[in-house]
Amino acid sequence: MNCLQFENALSDYLEGAATSEQQAHLNSCSACSGLLADLSLISSEASSLRTIDEPSVRIWNSLEAQLRKEGLIREPSRPSQPGFFHRWRTAWLVPVAAALLIAAGVKLYQPAKIGDNQPIAKQRTPAAPVVPAVSAEDKDVMNTVASRPPAQVAAYRNDLAQANSFIRDAQEAVKNDPNDIYSQQMLMNAYEQKQMVYRLAVDQNNEDEQ
Amino acid sequence: MTDAKRPQRNKLSEQDAIERAKQGDAEAFQLLYDLHKRRVYSLCLRMTGNTASAEDLTQEAFLQLFRKIGTFRGESAFSTWLHRMAVNVVLMQLRKKNLPLVPIDETTEGEEEGTVRKELGAADSRLAGSIDRLHLQRAVDELPPGYRTIFVLHDVEGYEHNEIAAMIGCSIGNSKSQLHKARIKLRDLLRANRAEKVAKRS
Repeated sequence: MNCLQFENALSDYLEGAATSEQQAHLNSCSACSGLLADLSLISSEASSLRTIDEPSVRIWNSLEAQLRKEGLIREPSRPSQPGFFHRWRTAWLVPVAAALLIAAGVKLYQPAKIGDNQPIAKQRTPAAPVVPAVSAEDKDVMNTVASRPPAQVAAYRNDLAQANSFIRDAQEAVKNDPNDIYSQQMLMNAYEQKQMVYRLAVDQNNEDEQ
Repeated sequence: MTDAKRPQRNKLSEQDAIERAKQGDAEAFQLLYDLHKRRVYSLCLRMTGNTASAEDLTQEAFLQLFRKIGTFRGESAFSTWLHRMAVNVVLMQLRKKNLPLVPIDETTEGEEEGTVRKELGAADSRLAGSIDRLHLQRAVDELPPGYRTIFVLHDVEGYEHNEIAAMIGCSIGNSKSQLHKARIKLRDLLRANRAEKVAKRS
Protein backbone atom coordinates (compact mmCIF):
# COMPACT_ATOMS: atom_id res chain seq x y z
CA MET A 1 0.00 0.00 0.00
CA ASN A 2 1.35 3.43 -0.88
CA CYS A 3 0.56 6.82 0.70
CA LEU A 4 -2.16 7.73 -1.81
CA GLN A 5 -3.93 4.42 -1.31
CA PHE A 6 -3.67 4.86 2.42
CA GLU A 7 -5.14 8.35 2.31
CA ASN A 8 -8.00 7.21 0.13
CA ALA A 9 -8.88 4.59 2.74
CA LEU A 10 -8.14 6.84 5.71
CA SER A 11 -11.76 7.79 6.28
CA ASP A 12 -12.60 4.10 6.87
CA TYR A 13 -9.57 3.82 9.11
CA LEU A 14 -10.81 6.72 11.23
CA GLU A 15 -14.23 5.09 11.38
CA GLY A 16 -12.54 2.14 13.05
CA ALA A 17 -12.35 -0.22 10.09
CA ALA A 18 -8.57 -0.64 9.82
CA THR A 19 -7.04 -3.42 7.76
CA SER A 20 -3.72 -5.11 8.48
CA GLU A 21 -2.38 -3.60 5.26
CA GLN A 22 -3.23 -0.09 6.40
CA GLN A 23 -1.72 -0.77 9.81
CA ALA A 24 1.48 -2.01 8.20
CA HIS A 25 1.76 1.12 6.05
CA LEU A 26 1.09 3.32 9.04
CA ASN A 27 3.91 1.69 11.01
CA SER A 28 6.37 2.37 8.25
CA CYS A 29 5.30 5.87 7.08
CA SER A 30 5.81 8.92 9.26
CA ALA A 31 3.91 11.21 6.87
CA CYS A 32 0.78 9.08 7.00
CA SER A 33 1.01 8.51 10.74
CA GLY A 34 1.36 12.30 11.13
CA LEU A 35 -1.67 12.86 8.92
CA LEU A 36 -3.68 10.36 10.93
CA ALA A 37 -2.62 11.98 14.22
CA ASP A 38 -3.63 15.44 12.96
CA LEU A 39 -7.02 14.35 11.66
CA SER A 40 -7.77 12.46 14.86
CA LEU A 41 -6.79 15.55 16.83
CA ILE A 42 -9.05 17.82 14.75
CA SER A 43 -11.94 15.41 15.17
CA SER A 44 -11.50 15.10 18.92
CA GLU A 45 -11.05 18.85 19.43
CA ALA A 46 -14.22 19.57 17.46
CA SER A 47 -16.36 18.99 20.54
CA SER A 48 -14.68 22.01 22.14
CA LEU A 49 -16.54 24.11 19.58
CA ARG A 50 -19.84 23.08 21.12
CA THR A 51 -19.95 26.32 23.04
CA ILE A 52 -23.11 27.96 24.30
CA ASP A 53 -23.74 31.48 23.04
CA GLU A 54 -26.37 33.90 24.26
CA PRO A 55 -28.70 35.19 21.56
CA SER A 56 -29.88 38.79 21.41
CA VAL A 57 -33.08 39.64 23.29
CA ARG A 58 -34.36 41.02 20.01
CA ILE A 59 -35.06 37.50 18.78
CA TRP A 60 -37.69 36.79 21.42
CA ASN A 61 -39.29 40.20 20.98
CA SER A 62 -39.65 39.70 17.23
CA LEU A 63 -40.73 36.11 17.70
CA GLU A 64 -43.39 37.06 20.24
CA ALA A 65 -44.75 39.77 17.94
CA GLN A 66 -44.93 37.26 15.09
CA LEU A 67 -46.61 34.61 17.26
CA ARG A 68 -49.26 37.14 18.27
CA LYS A 69 -49.69 38.26 14.69
CA GLU A 70 -50.28 34.65 13.57
CA GLY A 71 -52.67 34.03 16.45
CA LEU A 72 -50.48 31.33 18.01
CA ILE A 73 -50.42 33.34 21.23
CA ARG A 74 -54.07 33.70 22.08
CA GLU A 75 -54.09 35.70 25.27
CA PRO A 76 -54.01 39.40 26.07
CA SER A 77 -50.60 40.99 25.70
CA ARG A 78 -48.59 41.19 28.89
CA PRO A 79 -45.49 43.20 29.64
CA SER A 80 -42.54 41.44 28.06
CA GLN A 81 -40.25 39.73 30.57
CA PRO A 82 -37.24 38.30 28.78
CA GLY A 83 -35.34 35.69 30.79
CA PHE A 84 -32.77 37.82 32.47
CA PHE A 85 -34.98 40.80 33.17
CA HIS A 86 -36.84 39.20 36.05
CA ARG A 87 -33.88 39.62 38.36
CA TRP A 88 -33.64 43.31 37.67
CA ARG A 89 -34.84 45.50 40.50
CA THR A 90 -37.87 47.64 39.88
CA ALA A 91 -37.53 49.93 42.87
CA TRP A 92 -37.67 53.19 40.92
CA LEU A 93 -37.46 54.42 37.40
CA VAL A 94 -34.72 56.37 35.79
CA PRO A 95 -36.46 59.64 34.96
CA VAL A 96 -34.93 60.09 31.56
CA ALA A 97 -35.81 56.58 30.44
CA ALA A 98 -39.33 56.93 31.75
CA ALA A 99 -39.68 60.20 29.89
CA LEU A 100 -38.40 58.49 26.76
CA LEU A 101 -40.95 55.72 27.14
CA ILE A 102 -43.80 58.15 27.82
CA ALA A 103 -42.76 60.30 24.87
CA ALA A 104 -42.84 57.24 22.63
CA GLY A 105 -46.26 56.26 23.97
CA VAL A 106 -47.68 59.74 23.48
CA LYS A 107 -46.35 59.91 19.96
CA LEU A 108 -47.60 56.44 19.18
CA TYR A 109 -51.09 56.77 20.56
CA GLN A 110 -51.83 60.46 20.17
CA PRO A 111 -55.42 61.10 19.02
CA ALA A 112 -56.28 62.75 15.72
CA LYS A 113 -56.21 66.54 15.71
CA ILE A 114 -59.49 68.29 15.05
CA GLY A 115 -59.65 69.62 11.54
CA ASP A 116 -56.89 67.41 10.33
CA ASN A 117 -58.08 65.77 7.13
CA GLN A 118 -55.27 63.24 6.91
CA PRO A 119 -56.27 59.57 6.93
CA ILE A 120 -56.00 57.92 10.35
CA ALA A 121 -53.00 55.87 9.32
CA LYS A 122 -51.07 59.02 8.45
CA GLN A 123 -51.97 60.71 11.73
CA ARG A 124 -50.40 57.87 13.67
CA THR A 125 -47.37 57.47 11.46
CA PRO A 126 -44.34 58.95 13.20
CA ALA A 127 -43.92 56.58 16.11
CA ALA A 128 -41.10 58.21 18.00
CA PRO A 129 -38.08 60.31 17.34
CA VAL A 130 -35.37 58.44 15.50
CA VAL A 131 -32.86 57.13 18.02
CA PRO A 132 -29.32 58.04 17.15
CA ALA A 133 -26.67 55.33 17.48
CA VAL A 134 -25.33 57.05 20.63
CA SER A 135 -27.66 59.62 22.18
CA ALA A 136 -26.74 62.17 24.86
CA GLU A 137 -28.72 60.08 27.38
CA ASP A 138 -26.75 56.98 26.40
CA LYS A 139 -23.53 58.89 26.99
CA ASP A 140 -24.78 59.92 30.44
CA VAL A 141 -25.54 56.31 31.29
CA MET A 142 -22.15 55.17 30.05
CA ASN A 143 -20.52 57.88 32.17
CA THR A 144 -22.49 56.59 35.16
CA VAL A 145 -21.04 53.10 34.76
CA ALA A 146 -17.60 54.18 33.54
CA SER A 147 -15.93 53.29 36.85
CA ARG A 148 -17.19 49.71 36.78
CA PRO A 149 -15.03 46.78 35.53
CA PRO A 150 -14.34 46.90 31.76
CA ALA A 151 -16.37 43.76 31.08
CA GLN A 152 -19.45 45.32 32.69
CA VAL A 153 -18.94 48.58 30.82
CA ALA A 154 -18.73 46.62 27.59
CA ALA A 155 -21.89 44.71 28.52
CA TYR A 156 -23.79 47.97 29.14
CA ARG A 157 -22.54 49.38 25.84
CA ASN A 158 -23.65 46.23 24.05
CA ASP A 159 -27.07 46.21 25.77
CA LEU A 160 -27.63 49.83 24.82
CA ALA A 161 -26.58 49.18 21.23
CA GLN A 162 -28.99 46.23 21.06
CA ALA A 163 -31.83 48.25 22.56
CA ASN A 164 -31.22 51.09 20.10
CA SER A 165 -31.10 48.65 17.23
CA PHE A 166 -34.36 47.07 18.41
CA ILE A 167 -35.96 50.52 18.64
CA ARG A 168 -34.88 51.34 15.09
CA ASP A 169 -36.28 48.02 13.81
CA ALA A 170 -39.56 48.60 15.62
CA GLN A 171 -39.77 52.18 14.34
CA GLU A 172 -39.32 50.84 10.83
CA ALA A 173 -42.10 48.28 11.40
CA VAL A 174 -44.46 51.01 12.68
CA LYS A 175 -43.53 53.24 9.80
CA ASN A 176 -44.35 50.49 7.32
CA ASP A 177 -47.69 49.71 8.94
CA PRO A 178 -48.75 52.48 11.32
CA ASN A 179 -52.02 50.79 12.31
CA ASP A 180 -50.44 47.43 13.18
CA ILE A 181 -50.89 47.02 16.93
CA TYR A 182 -48.17 44.36 17.07
CA SER A 183 -45.60 46.71 15.61
CA GLN A 184 -46.73 49.35 18.09
CA GLN A 185 -46.39 46.84 20.93
CA MET A 186 -42.94 45.89 19.65
CA LEU A 187 -41.89 49.54 19.75
CA MET A 188 -43.14 49.93 23.29
CA ASN A 189 -41.27 46.74 24.25
CA ALA A 190 -38.14 48.17 22.65
CA TYR A 191 -38.39 51.33 24.74
CA GLU A 192 -39.07 49.24 27.84
CA GLN A 193 -35.92 47.29 27.07
CA LYS A 194 -33.87 50.47 26.89
CA GLN A 195 -35.51 51.76 30.02
CA MET A 196 -34.45 48.59 31.84
CA VAL A 197 -30.84 49.05 30.77
CA TYR A 198 -30.92 52.60 32.14
CA ARG A 199 -32.56 51.43 35.34
CA LEU A 200 -30.06 48.65 35.93
CA ALA A 201 -27.15 51.03 35.39
CA VAL A 202 -28.45 53.58 37.89
CA ASP A 203 -29.60 51.00 40.44
CA GLN A 204 -26.22 49.32 40.49
CA ASN A 205 -24.50 52.65 40.76
CA ASN A 206 -26.66 53.53 43.76
CA GLU A 207 -25.85 50.19 45.38
CA ASP A 208 -22.14 50.88 44.96
CA GLU A 209 -22.48 54.28 46.60
CA GLN A 210 -24.37 52.93 49.63
CA MET B 1 -25.43 22.32 31.70
CA THR B 2 -27.82 22.38 28.77
CA ASP B 3 -30.58 24.96 28.62
CA ALA B 4 -33.17 22.28 29.20
CA LYS B 5 -31.54 21.21 32.45
CA ARG B 6 -31.57 24.65 34.01
CA PRO B 7 -34.00 25.33 36.85
CA GLN B 8 -37.35 26.12 35.32
CA ARG B 9 -39.15 29.35 36.03
CA ASN B 10 -42.28 29.14 38.20
CA LYS B 11 -41.84 25.35 38.46
CA LEU B 12 -43.61 24.97 35.12
CA SER B 13 -42.21 21.80 33.58
CA GLU B 14 -41.29 21.58 29.93
CA GLN B 15 -44.13 19.12 29.38
CA ASP B 16 -46.63 21.49 31.03
CA ALA B 17 -45.25 24.36 28.96
CA ILE B 18 -45.71 22.36 25.75
CA GLU B 19 -49.33 21.64 26.63
CA ARG B 20 -49.98 25.25 27.60
CA ALA B 21 -48.28 26.52 24.45
CA LYS B 22 -50.68 24.38 22.43
CA GLN B 23 -53.45 26.44 24.05
CA GLY B 24 -51.75 29.69 23.05
CA ASP B 25 -50.20 30.61 26.41
CA ALA B 26 -47.59 33.34 25.92
CA GLU B 27 -45.67 32.50 29.09
CA ALA B 28 -45.36 28.87 28.01
CA PHE B 29 -43.95 29.89 24.62
CA GLN B 30 -41.43 32.12 26.34
CA LEU B 31 -40.39 29.40 28.77
CA LEU B 32 -39.79 26.95 25.92
CA TYR B 33 -37.83 29.61 24.10
CA ASP B 34 -35.73 30.44 27.17
CA LEU B 35 -34.99 26.76 27.81
CA HIS B 36 -33.65 26.08 24.33
CA LYS B 37 -32.63 29.41 22.81
CA ARG B 38 -28.90 29.10 23.57
CA ARG B 39 -28.53 25.65 22.08
CA VAL B 40 -30.42 26.53 18.92
CA TYR B 41 -28.66 29.86 18.47
CA SER B 42 -25.25 28.27 19.04
CA LEU B 43 -26.00 25.60 16.46
CA CYS B 44 -27.08 28.21 13.91
CA LEU B 45 -24.00 30.28 14.67
CA ARG B 46 -21.66 27.33 14.16
CA MET B 47 -23.32 26.31 10.92
CA THR B 48 -23.39 29.78 9.39
CA GLY B 49 -20.42 31.46 11.06
CA ASN B 50 -22.42 34.68 11.00
CA THR B 51 -24.21 36.36 13.92
CA ALA B 52 -26.91 38.12 11.92
CA SER B 53 -27.79 34.97 9.97
CA ALA B 54 -27.75 32.92 13.16
CA GLU B 55 -30.25 35.31 14.79
CA ASP B 56 -32.59 35.17 11.79
CA LEU B 57 -32.37 31.39 11.61
CA THR B 58 -32.93 30.98 15.35
CA GLN B 59 -36.10 33.02 15.08
CA GLU B 60 -37.21 31.03 12.04
CA ALA B 61 -36.50 27.68 13.75
CA PHE B 62 -38.57 28.61 16.80
CA LEU B 63 -41.31 30.02 14.64
CA GLN B 64 -41.56 26.77 12.68
CA LEU B 65 -41.47 24.80 15.90
CA PHE B 66 -44.24 26.82 17.51
CA ARG B 67 -46.38 26.60 14.39
CA LYS B 68 -46.13 22.81 14.58
CA ILE B 69 -46.27 22.43 18.35
CA GLY B 70 -49.85 21.19 18.14
CA THR B 71 -48.56 18.09 16.35
CA PHE B 72 -45.89 17.30 18.96
CA ARG B 73 -46.93 14.04 20.62
CA GLY B 74 -43.81 13.39 22.65
CA GLU B 75 -42.53 10.39 20.69
CA SER B 76 -39.07 11.96 20.74
CA ALA B 77 -37.52 14.41 23.18
CA PHE B 78 -38.66 17.96 22.58
CA SER B 79 -35.04 19.15 22.42
CA THR B 80 -34.23 16.53 19.76
CA TRP B 81 -37.24 17.61 17.72
CA LEU B 82 -36.26 21.27 18.01
CA HIS B 83 -32.60 20.61 17.25
CA ARG B 84 -33.45 18.68 14.12
CA MET B 85 -35.81 21.45 13.05
CA ALA B 86 -33.08 24.04 13.56
CA VAL B 87 -30.69 22.01 11.40
CA ASN B 88 -33.33 21.75 8.70
CA VAL B 89 -33.97 25.49 8.81
CA VAL B 90 -30.26 26.19 8.35
CA LEU B 91 -29.97 23.67 5.52
CA MET B 92 -33.03 25.16 3.84
CA GLN B 93 -31.48 28.60 4.09
CA LEU B 94 -28.24 27.36 2.53
CA ARG B 95 -30.27 25.82 -0.31
CA LYS B 96 -32.12 29.10 -0.82
CA LYS B 97 -28.82 30.91 -1.11
CA ASN B 98 -27.66 28.28 -3.60
CA LEU B 99 -24.75 27.37 -1.38
CA PRO B 100 -23.67 23.76 -1.89
CA LEU B 101 -24.72 21.46 0.97
CA VAL B 102 -22.26 18.90 -0.33
CA PRO B 103 -18.93 20.30 -1.49
CA ILE B 104 -18.15 20.26 -5.16
CA ASP B 105 -15.28 17.81 -5.55
CA GLU B 106 -13.94 19.15 -8.82
CA THR B 107 -12.74 22.38 -7.25
CA THR B 108 -10.65 20.72 -4.58
CA GLU B 109 -9.79 17.22 -5.73
CA GLY B 110 -6.42 18.08 -7.17
CA GLU B 111 -5.01 19.74 -4.10
CA GLU B 112 -6.33 17.07 -1.74
CA GLU B 113 -4.91 14.15 -3.67
CA GLY B 114 -1.48 15.58 -3.13
CA THR B 115 -1.88 16.04 0.59
CA VAL B 116 0.14 13.06 1.67
CA ARG B 117 2.78 13.51 -0.97
CA LYS B 118 3.40 17.06 0.24
CA GLU B 119 3.84 15.60 3.71
CA LEU B 120 6.84 13.46 2.84
CA GLY B 121 9.85 14.73 4.65
CA ALA B 122 7.77 17.23 6.54
CA ALA B 123 6.91 15.37 9.70
CA ASP B 124 7.80 18.45 11.77
CA SER B 125 4.82 20.31 10.36
CA ARG B 126 2.28 18.30 12.31
CA LEU B 127 -0.22 20.08 14.47
CA ALA B 128 1.82 18.87 17.46
CA GLY B 129 -0.67 17.57 19.95
CA SER B 130 -2.97 20.50 20.56
CA ILE B 131 -5.15 22.98 18.73
CA ASP B 132 -6.21 26.30 20.10
CA ARG B 133 -10.03 26.41 20.16
CA LEU B 134 -10.15 29.90 18.65
CA HIS B 135 -7.87 28.90 15.79
CA LEU B 136 -10.01 25.85 15.15
CA GLN B 137 -13.17 27.96 15.20
CA ARG B 138 -11.62 30.42 12.78
CA ALA B 139 -10.57 27.61 10.46
CA VAL B 140 -14.09 26.11 10.55
CA ASP B 141 -15.52 29.53 9.69
CA GLU B 142 -13.18 29.65 6.70
CA LEU B 143 -14.37 26.30 5.35
CA PRO B 144 -16.57 26.39 2.27
CA PRO B 145 -20.22 26.05 3.39
CA GLY B 146 -20.61 22.45 2.24
CA TYR B 147 -17.57 21.25 4.15
CA ARG B 148 -18.56 23.27 7.21
CA THR B 149 -22.05 21.76 7.23
CA ILE B 150 -20.79 18.17 7.24
CA PHE B 151 -18.00 18.83 9.74
CA VAL B 152 -20.26 20.67 12.18
CA LEU B 153 -23.04 18.10 11.95
CA HIS B 154 -20.73 15.11 12.43
CA ASP B 155 -17.74 16.14 14.50
CA VAL B 156 -19.28 18.98 16.53
CA GLU B 157 -22.95 18.06 16.85
CA GLY B 158 -22.43 14.30 16.87
CA TYR B 159 -24.84 13.24 14.13
CA GLU B 160 -24.18 9.88 12.46
CA HIS B 161 -23.47 9.61 8.75
CA ASN B 162 -26.85 7.98 8.04
CA GLU B 163 -28.63 10.91 9.74
CA ILE B 164 -26.56 13.48 7.85
CA ALA B 165 -27.16 11.67 4.57
CA ALA B 166 -30.91 11.77 5.19
CA MET B 167 -30.89 15.45 6.19
CA ILE B 168 -28.73 16.63 3.32
CA GLY B 169 -29.93 14.24 0.69
CA CYS B 170 -26.70 12.42 -0.18
CA SER B 171 -25.36 8.90 0.23
CA ILE B 172 -23.72 7.72 3.44
CA GLY B 173 -20.49 7.14 1.51
CA ASN B 174 -20.63 10.68 0.23
CA SER B 175 -21.10 12.03 3.75
CA LYS B 176 -18.06 10.05 4.95
CA SER B 177 -15.92 11.13 2.06
CA GLN B 178 -16.86 14.80 2.44
CA LEU B 179 -16.18 14.73 6.16
CA HIS B 180 -12.73 13.37 5.47
CA LYS B 181 -12.06 16.13 2.97
CA ALA B 182 -13.36 18.74 5.39
CA ARG B 183 -10.89 17.53 8.04
CA ILE B 184 -8.04 17.60 5.50
CA LYS B 185 -9.02 21.15 4.55
CA LEU B 186 -9.09 22.15 8.21
CA ARG B 187 -5.66 20.68 8.71
CA ASP B 188 -4.34 22.72 5.80
CA LEU B 189 -5.89 25.89 7.21
CA LEU B 190 -4.52 25.26 10.70
CA ARG B 191 -1.06 24.52 9.38
CA ALA B 192 -1.12 27.61 7.19
CA ASN B 193 -2.12 29.63 10.22
CA ARG B 194 0.74 28.16 12.23
CA ALA B 195 3.24 28.76 9.43
CA GLU B 196 2.11 32.37 9.23
CA LYS B 197 2.72 32.81 12.93
CA VAL B 198 6.19 31.30 12.71
CA ALA B 199 7.02 33.59 9.79
CA LYS B 200 5.92 36.64 11.76
CA ARG B 201 8.09 35.68 14.70
CA SER B 202 11.24 35.22 12.57
